[in-house]
Amino acid sequence: MQGDEVHHSPETAQLDALKAGHTSAWKEIMVLHGSGLLSFAIRMLGDRGAAEEIVQDSLVNIYHTIGRFDGRCSIKSWLYRAVHNSAIDEIRRRKRYVDVGIDAEENYFNEAGRWINDCPGWDGLAAKRLDDKRLLTLVREQMDHLPHTHREVLLLKEFEGLDTTEICDALEISPGNLRIRIHRARAALRAAVVGA
Amino acid sequence: MVYLKCSVVVGKISEVIDGQTSLMTRMRFHGHIMMCKNCRRYFEQFKRVKEFAGKVTSDDLPPDFAHVMGFVMNEIENKDV
Ligand SMILES: [Zn+2]
Repeated sequence: MQGDEVHHSPETAQLDALKAGHTSAWKEIMVLHGSGLLSFAIRMLGDRGAAEEIVQDSLVNIYHTIGRFDGRCSIKSWLYRAVHNSAIDEIRRRKRYVDVGIDAEENYFNEAGRWINDCPGWDGLAAKRLDDKRLLTLVREQMDHLPHTHREVLLLKEFEGLDTTEICDALEISPGNLRIRIHRARAALRAAVVGA
Repeated sequence: MVYLKCSVVVGKISEVIDGQTSLMTRMRFHGHIMMCKNCRRYFEQFKRVKEFAGKVTSDDLPPDFAHVMGFVMNEIENKDV
């Protein structure tokens, strides 16, 4: 229920229109989600040309297979799922796929659950050497270097603003799994930024 | 108040930031954070990372989708004929 606006009947009507092949309905969902899908693909692949191709192909493919869509998730999630799957295929094809790396927090604590070393302060780093703009650049750079399983959850959650249900449906994972992945992704990003 | 282990507190940070914890967990979490410098630092860094990971700036104009949309609509309209 969380985050779902009351879109049920308009969504059903929209789906009917898409299935009936109304071009205005297709145009509408593209205007609504197109640039989000494209920006997601660009940041997944790091390559605008390939991203455009993937989004194009995904949308055309969705057009041809819309009859099989059972409406069990939102149209938006379904679109992101299609683009995500194609992006991962492309990344695998280029043999650049990196699965979840080691858990950044794994070695921070002793058996008693206490910090082994002090958590490095970044007051110096952030407040003195790095102003917000540089910190932003650094976060962005490091985000592009994260394993894809980390990067995709951060992009969908923080950047594209999908809610929990939408992300879970798009990535076909459970909310518990998503929670763990988001935490690990942020921990990896923090470690990369702090250099610790 | 430091009876939560640091490893447990750190493991809860994302849920706290995302508002997914119970009031009791949140209170125990913040109680620990107040007393523990390391967890407090880590929490602050996590919040900043989250904030910056999702920050949309003026350099982040949404990509121009017109070209892709033109291609797809062309495909769709041709199939309709
Ligand atoms: Zn602590």
